[in-house]
Amino acid sequence: MSEQKRTVAINVPVLARVEGEGALDLRIEEGNITELRLRIFEPPRFFEKFLEGHSYTEIPDMVARICGICPVAYQVTAAQALEKLFGVELSPWARTMRRVFYCGEWIQSHSLHIHLLAAPDFFGCSNAIELAKIAPDEVRRGLRIQGLGNELMDLFGARSVHPVGIRIGGFHAAPALSKINAVRDRLRAALPEAEALIRWAARISVPQDDQAFVSVAMRHPDVYAIDQGQIGVSDGSLIEVEAFDDHFAEYHEPFSTALFSTYHQQPYLVGPLARLNLNHAQLPEPVKALLAETGLVLPSRNLFHSLVARAVEILLALHEALRLLDAYRVPDSPYVAVTPRAGITSGCTEAPRGLLWHHYEMDDDGRVINARIVPPTSQNQGRIEEDLRQSLLNFGLDQPDAALRLHCEKVIRNYDPCISCATHFLRMRVERT
Amino acid sequence: MSRVCILGVGSPSGDDQAGWLTVDALLDLGIRTGDGIVIEKLDRPGSALIPLLASTGWLILVDAMQSDGEVGRIQRFDQTDWPHYGHGLSSHGLGVIDALMLAGELGSLPPRLDLYGIEIGSVCPGEEAGHEIQAAAQRLAEMIVSSLKG
Repeated sequence: MSEQKRTVAINVPVLARVEGEGALDLRIEEGNITELRLRIFEPPRFFEKFLEGHSYTEIPDMVARICGICPVAYQVTAAQALEKLFGVELSPWARTMRRVFYCGEWIQSHSLHIHLLAAPDFFGCSNAIELAKIAPDEVRRGLRIQGLGNELMDLFGARSVHPVGIRIGGFHAAPALSKINAVRDRLRAALPEAEALIRWAARISVPQDDQAFVSVAMRHPDVYAIDQGQIGVSDGSLIEVEAFDDHFAEYHEPFSTALFSTYHQQPYLVGPLARLNLNHAQLPEPVKALLAETGLVLPSRNLFHSLVARAVEILLALHEALRLLDAYRVPDSPYVAVTPRAGITSGCTEAPRGLLWHHYEMDDDGRVINARIVPPTSQNQGRIEEDLRQSLLNFGLDQPDAALRLHCEKVIRNYDPCISCATHFLRMRVERT
Repeated sequence: MSRVCILGVGSPSGDDQAGWLTVDALLDLGIRTGDGIVIEKLDRPGSALIPLLASTGWLILVDAMQSDGEVGRIQRFDQTDWPHYGHGLSSHGLGVIDALMLAGELGSLPPRLDLYGIEIGSVCPGEEAGHEIQAAAQRLAEMIVSSLKG
């Protein structure tokens, strides 16, 4: 039987519906991938430069503007770094509520991604409107869960998009007990819904795509790390937040305006599956039991398990928020006083999409001299390219062009990239020779 | 309980305030939240629009639009128009029409729905809306008040 190897060039000039602008170039010659580039061509936003000269009091609100979906991550990370430098000891109330606030963001971001972006791919739908035709109850449930996450963010941030609740030293205000009690009732009522979501997500048929990769996520000795901890790696390393640059390197590729990152010269994964791979033993017992019921074996080497990982983290976040709000009391003050000082500091937390690292140099008056922010999507860029290459080989390069393109889209969307939502490629040019 | 929900969608960028200005004009004309009416300004609500439709019998929604029309032109959209304006879905770019189409599939659309667009020009952040937009918002508010009385 003869097999004709074809040459295919797939150029996706614009990744539409993205928070940012990206594209994909794929060239297959004689059955080999000869070019594969995830190009991010969005003009640099210069956010770090904008921060220079601004007071520490302005930083939480400014960095919240970096992302409309995960502003809490940016706020908490910046606050953590600056509070460390200023020697601020948060009150137990503020420390706890930062984690609750963050749980709200995980719940809304993960639910949005599962139902509006990722799941349609696995049901042969081009978007959530089509998915709603065949799975309306599941989409409704997803929107309810997402709404609950927004509600938690709104409670502590005064609004769910670009919230303004955090200040250096704590929060600007504390929610009333009556509001907390009301949201606790809804969190409790959502537990069975989130459990059903995990069962549904685990039943979704995904490609069997076994890959070796490095997982990187924060680790904490006592809890599933969200807002505190050290940087853990699947090779067993545990890295102090301040030592990030000793192990991770950012570099520029001419085709991308976002920096790539490596861990000891290797691409690496950040995000929900990396977290679950490293920290699943710290899930609350009910979540662990449900996970065992699904049969998902961890650590997973299949990136398509990211969808179920997000579902698991939604249930975790609901349990965490409930636990932490259990003995809620309105504090005497929602913040402690802050005295700025000069120095260099770093902060690190787990944004919904993965590790988020901030680095600041501050002057005596608490103004930013320089800032560096390493977001999860840029860290995942190298891994996405590596994944695409391996996943396409597993998928089969002789698949029709449309199937290859859809598979690439699935792989990219799986990371929930924030260049991004790397969804719905607008145009594609196929060249055959 | 069925209610009338009046939503003005916008952002603080020049003419994109058209929806908000319509709400302001309605407030000036005495339309207030209460007695079966909810009136609100929204800043690009995305899928959060859908829960707002619960218990709503009549939705009046005003947003800015850009086409080739004259700035300040008011256009009413029927549901048959929606597919031409949907853009697919993403967590970062879920438009009003997308959200309404999703609500439609979920059976969450109110029985009566009046969707208005005001044709806009400049959308520079921090700038005031143009005179044509302010006049259009006033005109539309008067039309809405008439329909509420009607």
